Parts: sequence; C-alpha cells; structure tokens
Amino acid sequence: MFTHLLLITLGILFVIPFLWMLSTALKPAPEVLSNPPRWIPSKFLWGNFHEAIMYDSADLGFIPFLVYLQNTVVLAILCVTGAVFSNALVGYAFARLKWPGRDVFFALTLATMMIPFPVLMSPTFGLFKFLGWIGTFRPLWVPTFFGSAFNIFLLRQFFRSIPMELSEAAKIDGAGEFRIFLDVVVPLAKPGLAVVALFTFMATWNDFLGPLIYLLDQKTFTLALGLQAYQSQNGGTPWNLLMAATLMVVAPVILVFFLAQKLFIQGIATSGLKG
Amino acid sequence: MSKRDGRIGWLFALPWVFGFTVFLLYPVVASLFLSFTSYSILKPPRLIGTANYVELYHDPIFWKSLSNTFLYVLGAVPLGTVMAIALALLLNSKVKGMAIYRTLFFLPTLVPMAALGVLFLWIFNGDYGILNAGLKLVHLPLPNWLGDPAWSKWTLILISVWGCGQAMIIYLAGLQDVPVSLYEACEIDGASSWARTRAVTLPLISPVILFNVIMGIIGSLQVFAVPYIMFMDGAPARSTYVFTSYLLDNAFKFQRMGYACALGWVMFVITLILTLLSMKIAERHVHYEGG
Amino acid sequence: MTLVVLVALACVGISESVANRQTSKDRVDITYWEKWTGPEATVMRQLVNRYNASQNKVHVNYVTISTIDVKTLLSTSGGDPPDVAGIWVENLVQFEDANMLTDLTDMAAKAGLDKNYYVKNYWDMMNYNGRLYAFPSTPASTALHVRPDLIPAQYASPDTFPKTLDEFDDLMFAVTKKDEDGKLKQAGFMPTNPGWWHWSWPYLFGGSLYDGKEITIDTPDNLRAFEWCKKYADHLGPDAMTEFQSAFGNNSSPEDPFMVGKVVTEFNGVWKGHYIKEQKPDTPWFAVPLPYRNDRPDLANHSMITSDILVIPTGAKHLKEAFDFLRFTQSQPEMEALCKGQGKNSPLAKVSDAFYKDHTNKFIHLFDQLARSPTAFYSPQIGVFPQLRSEMDDVFQEITTGQKSPKKALDDAQDHMSELWHTYRVQVLGEPQ
Repeated sequence: MFTHLLLITLGILFVIPFLWMLSTALKPAPEVLSNPPRWIPSKFLWGNFHEAIMYDSADLGFIPFLVYLQNTVVLAILCVTGAVFSNALVGYAFARLKWPGRDVFFALTLATMMIPFPVLMSPTFGLFKFLGWIGTFRPLWVPTFFGSAFNIFLLRQFFRSIPMELSEAAKIDGAGEFRIFLDVVVPLAKPGLAVVALFTFMATWNDFLGPLIYLLDQKTFTLALGLQAYQSQNGGTPWNLLMAATLMVVAPVILVFFLAQKLFIQGIATSGLKG
Repeated sequence: MSKRDGRIGWLFALPWVFGFTVFLLYPVVASLFLSFTSYSILKPPRLIGTANYVELYHDPIFWKSLSNTFLYVLGAVPLGTVMAIALALLLNSKVKGMAIYRTLFFLPTLVPMAALGVLFLWIFNGDYGILNAGLKLVHLPLPNWLGDPAWSKWTLILISVWGCGQAMIIYLAGLQDVPVSLYEACEIDGASSWARTRAVTLPLISPVILFNVIMGIIGSLQVFAVPYIMFMDGAPARSTYVFTSYLLDNAFKFQRMGYACALGWVMFVITLILTLLSMKIAERHVHYEGG
Repeated sequence: MTLVVLVALACVGISESVANRQTSKDRVDITYWEKWTGPEATVMRQLVNRYNASQNKVHVNYVTISTIDVKTLLSTSGGDPPDVAGIWVENLVQFEDANMLTDLTDMAAKAGLDKNYYVKNYWDMMNYNGRLYAFPSTPASTALHVRPDLIPAQYASPDTFPKTLDEFDDLMFAVTKKDEDGKLKQAGFMPTNPGWWHWSWPYLFGGSLYDGKEITIDTPDNLRAFEWCKKYADHLGPDAMTEFQSAFGNNSSPEDPFMVGKVVTEFNGVWKGHYIKEQKPDTPWFAVPLPYRNDRPDLANHSMITSDILVIPTGAKHLKEAFDFLRFTQSQPEMEALCKGQGKNSPLAKVSDAFYKDHTNKFIHLFDQLARSPTAFYSPQIGVFPQLRSEMDDVFQEITTGQKSPKKALDDAQDHMSELWHTYRVQVLGEPQ
C-alpha cells in the first residue's frame, strides 16, 4: 500500500515536466508565460502541432522541421545499419573465434569505455578536416561502421550464450565460418541485435554534440540541433510551438521504447552488463 | 588453434581494429602530443613543452570549471543512484501497471538534451516556473534557481536525477536475478523489508551498483548539453561552467586546440583515477555471486 | 537483407546530396552566410537579388546560419568556409590573428573604398594593424531610450532630461516602483536589460580594458563603473537583475520591458526605434546620448558603437567574385537601402537626404551624430576579446550577486586576463617570451 502511494507520488513528479510540455504545446501564445502559471489551456490548440511543422515567422523565417526530420531519420538508419553490421562481426570474433591476442584486445576494448569524448575531440576534428568531411554527415555515421566498445561488449555476451555445439555441427557439415555466422548464430542472436539497433537509434536521434560540431549549414541540421531554431535571439520565441515541436521529436522514441520494452530489458539482462 | 582460425578471427574483427586505431588510439595519442603544442588549426602546431599544463595549473577558470564539475558529480551520482535503486525496488514488487510506471520513469532519458534544456529553463524560472509555484503552495522558500550561483548547480543535479531511468532499468534487470528463495527465508525469519533489503538485496546487486556508479561518474564528468543550453557561458557568475564547456570553448571559440587537448588529458587522468578508486573501494563491499 | 543494403545505400545518397554544394555552370556560385532572420534578412536578400539580377557572372546564395561566428570559425578551420561571412566586428581581431581573414586592403583601394569613403570610427574598426579585413554590412550606435510618460514632466523631453550621471541616477531611483512584497514593478534603469555589453561599462566611465599594449582592468575609472553597477543591483535586487538577463530574450518582442513599461529607460542601439515602430508603435519614447560622469564633461555625446561586418574567410574558393559582391554592397545606394531597411544608420561619410527622409527611427539624426562623435567607443581591438568579454560578464555577475566586491572582482580579472593576454602574445602573436 505504502509502495503504491510512493510510486504514484514519484510517478507524478517525474511526469510533470512532460505534462507541462503538453499543456504548453496546446496553449494559445499569450497564455504561455502567464504568471501564476496555468495548467489547463483556455483552448486546446491541436493545430499547434501542424503549425510548428510549417512555422514561418517574420522573425525566424521558415523553420524546416520536416527537413530536420528527414535528416535525422536518414542518419539514424545509417548509424543503426553500421552499428548492427560492424558490431555483430566483431562481437562474433570475440565470442566464438579463437585468435592470437583476442583476450588482451578485448580487455583493451573495455578499457576504452573509460575514455571521455572531450579528449578525442580535437584530433578527431582535425582528422575530419583533413578528409574534407566537415559540414557533411559523414563524421556522424561513418565511424559507426567500425564498431564501438559498448556494443561489442553487449553482442559478445549474447553470442557467448549460444551453444558452441551448433557451430560445431555446422562445421562438420562443411560450412565456412561466415556461413555459420550468418545462418546459425545471427538468427539466434536477434534480441541482442535488436538491443544494439535500439540503443543506437536512440543515441543518434538525440545526439547533440556531434551535429553541433560537424554540421554547419542549417538545412543539414538534425532535430536535436534544429529545435534551437525556434529560439529567437530577439524575444518572440513561440514557446507553445517549440514545445509542440519538441513533443513531436520525442514521440517516436517513446513509441519505439514502449513497443520494445520487454526486448530492452531482456537485452540488458542477458547481456550480463550488470555483472 | 590453427593458423587459419587465427586469421579468420582477425578478419571478423577487422572493422573494430580499424575503428579502434583510427577513432580511439590515434586521437588519444595525438591528443597527448597536441597538449604539448600551441595549435589553432589553421597554423601548424608548435611545440611549447609543458606550457599548457603550467598554464592550466594557474588558470582560475580551469579550477572553477573543475570544481563545478566535481560538485555536480558529487551531487548527481549519489542522488541518482539512490533514486534509481529506490525506484527499481519499488517497481520490483510486482505492482499493477508496472509497464506504465517503467515507461514513465524511463521517459526522461528519451528526450533530446536540446529540448530538455529549454523546458527546464522554464520550469525552474524563479518567477513563473511551476517548480516555484509548487513550492509556494507548500510554503517553502523559493530559490532563484537560474540566477543565484548558490542554487544553479542544484538545478543541474535535479535534472540529472530526473534522468535516472536508464540506471533504474539496469537495476531492475539485476533485481530479477536475486533468488526468490532468499526473500522467503527472510520472511520466515520475520525480517522487516528494510532489513531484508539491506542484508540480502543490496549486497546481491552490488556488482550492478558498481557498474552503474562507474558509468555514472564517467558520464557526469563529461556533462555538457544541458548546462550549455540552459546557461550562457556558465552564468550566473560561471557557477554552471562545466569542464567540457571550457574545453569546447578553448578548442573552437578561442581556437586553442593545444590547450584543449591538455584539458582533455587532465579529464582522462581524473576519470581513470576515479574509476580505479571506485573499483578499489568496491573490492571490500561488492559481493560476487559464487565467491 | 538486400533490402537493408538498398535502404542504407539510398540513405547515403540522400545524406550526400543534402550536404553538397551546387555545381556551377557558366556563372560562379558563391555562398554568403549571414546571421539575420526575419525582416532583417529580407532586406539583405533583396540586395542579393538585385546583385544577382544586375549581372550574370556571379550568383550569390544567401544562407541563414545560427551562431555564425563559431560556425565560421569551424568551417574555416575545417577547410571549407563560405565565400562571404556576415559576422560581428567583435570577431575581427581574433579571426585575423588566427589567419582566418582575407586582406582586402588592395582590392578595396582599387575600388575606391578607402578611409575617406567611411565614417572614421567605422573605418578604424574595420582595420587592424593598418590593413583592411572587413566591410560594414550594417553599423550601429547606441543611446539611452526614455519613456517620457513614466517620468516627471520637467524631465520628459530630450533637452531637459538629465545629461550627467548623478542626476540620472537620482531620477532613476525615484521612478523605481516596487509592490507590497518588495517585488520590482517598474525599474528606472536596468543594467541587465538587454545586458549584452557588460564589457562596455568601463568605457562609459571613461575607462578602458586595453590600452593597446596591456590589459587595464583594475583601474580607478573601471572601479567606479562597476561600483555604479553594484549600486543598481543593490537598489533593484539581484533576483530582478537576473530575471531581466534570463535567456528568454524578451527584448524587442511584444513583451519587451521598455515597450511594456517595466523599465523606464534602456541603453540600446539604433535598431530599437525600428522594433518599437514594428511591435508597439504607440509607445511614447525619445532618445538621448548616454549620461556621462559629472566630473568628465569631455565624455559628453559618447556612444558605444558596433557593426555587423562582411568578411572573406581564408580558403574561400571564389575570391574575386566574393569581392565583387562586397563592392556592390558598399555602393552608396545599396548601403543606404540596406541600412534604412533595417532601421540603422549608415557607415558612409556621405549620406543622402533621401536616407533620412521617412527613416523608421525618428531619432536617426541623433544616432548618426553619435556614430561620428569623437568620444564614441567600440570593443577593444585585442585578439582575446572573446575571453575578455566573457570575463567581464563574469565580473558583472559576481559583483551584482554579491559574490565578490567590485575591487576584488576587477583585481582577479586583471590577474587572469593579463596572464592570458601574455600567453596569447607569446603563442599566437609570436612575441618573445
């Protein structure tokens, strides 16, 4: 009983910012900054969502929300593809193949999770400059095709949990390693791959620092970065539309999570991350 | 193992070999080298010895941003851990509507940082923010969350605790592994649920706690997006100027990449030290299953 | 599986096309990055259209870019800058010290764009170490805007309004109103509204931050300036100060404090009159030069002046074409159309009568005079100005939130900035240790 009460109270506290976002998104402009703040809009302007997408003001110009959406979706697809392919291959190598230096390299891989991004930033920027990639999307998705420590760790755990006998049986049948990988192991590791896809999707959708540094032209922006376009330097920021736009940016991720909850948690549990 | 096996292993691992070398090894080493230079990217780097490190030792903004970040970590990690564990314990009791609660508490981690920042600029506003409106209702004092240097870090800490959903999910997964039989044994002994938690649950999930605390420390040390969006240049009075912001400003705004690399290496070393420290402390307190 | 590969390839294609520049045909396409949005952008776009229509060798693509100074830095260091960038004059010295700007002196001289063509103050700002690195796009000067309806009638005109600081302060304190809870209802003068130029308070008091060689933060004049700021902070309350400075940016929106009457006076630029006419034309207002210290009558008619500028970043691909576009913007008819359209003053020495006629700012003559005034001041030409400005913002906030006394704040800032400036001189300017 006490548990229930506590859960409800905390639940409300946690969800208040979202309710406030929703409430503001539906308000007519003059009510947005009212003091004391009011919760229920006088009118429910569902049209604000549409207006946020088509927003074209004298002050801010046309905000290409749909372009940001397209950019973000394209980028997310690229990153998820890259992450799943590369990390599957590498995770397989660490989990089911024996090769010299494997365990040392794995320990090194884990250690890299401790490296803070800021220490990598300047030389990485210099590298992309040398390649002429600044201002393009490439710095944001090309690296995903070359693996990442966290996902490698995750998938290694998954692949290890699949019995070696299956691989051995396939080998006896004359299958090459890559065949075994594709036809035997990968199908069984779908939950793990799905978790990698999920985490990568969310990370890309919400990534702010990467686009901030590497994207220059406003029409290449992603949603996370593009939301700032609604903020006017001169005042007159359309807060209700900004909140509406934000909700639209947040919604897909929430949907994906809600549908894939079980997968998520199963993925984390099986990955042995906790231990 | 045959030579052929060895070769195939490396073949499969090739993408990561490349990725590790180009995107991790090279930048880390280059960063170390650049930290001994003065480098503004349009001019070639010039070796200046340890001048950057000497400079940061005397740089009041280095110390300010470092202390800001430390205070933030000191607040965010313990509070976030307690909240995440508490929520996980509550949710573990097979409550009705668990799926909804789980989503609710996890929701904050799904929101992009840019949106978060703006939303909270609003909620924490001293005058027409709903936080103070709520505090007013229960007759509590109304801090100037955004304008008072004494309170601005608490704003960041509270936002961070609100985002503890990811850790909570990991704790939930960890809790599933605690054998029910142990709980039953406690009930037979007549132990209260708090005693049971202390004696049984917490020790059994201590590896998870360790993992989350370490990830939490590493992540909080690098905090950037929310302070960047909510507070211009770490206002008020640089109280929210975090280490990563200073590093980025040096790299891009002031065109001092060499100095930025020195700052980056300092952060790296601090991260290593704190991680090793955590693991050392953990040796005494963390209980591994079967050992 | 093949589906996935196909989708991925399609995405690569899309992402590449979004990020790519247009290829040119017979004419040369150049990119022009500009910070402006809304009506200001419209005026410049019209100019660009006129240029494009006037000839068919060069075509200018106008692109709106946010945080344009940082983006220009990033793209120039990334090796792929725009051909023309519209930044601020405060960026000029830092950029040039980092080799990021093209020297325009010779091309300008050939086109007749020399020091006689411009108002001296603006010409000085565009030059550094004797060379020209930028052209003004739109300049500005600043003044004190006043609400005559909120002050006693005897002060309510430009001639009778207090000219010196002591009288100004007295009047401002007198018209400040608080309600029963002690909350501010109406402020006479609010230093944090708009609060964009905390580095300028010393200059208002006849002080400076840089004397051409050394950092000069902890001087008696500067101390007076910040003690004056503290006086207002104590009087108005620090919470009120930060509320006005908050990132909400109500300035020049319909909730603008000056237009709404929450502040009685405002230190702001020539564009303010234009905004008032657009947003709330029934606002009664007039403009006067900023007050000066009673003991320094030589500072009369001072003004903080600044400018938006056009530069050609180093590494721009179309130097000749970019300069041709710049030359076009600097012609008197075009410059006047641009400045008048944005409600600002003109940077050119000669101004036509048509410019003043029907100008949206009814006090344009005042702003024009202030821009030409020998006592006008602008941001110090020092490469560490970004750090200096941020330091002075910090000094202001430390003082007004009571964290440090004005003397301590200035001393600390002096120590820090002179150290930084010395390092900069050695490392960036190549001076001996």
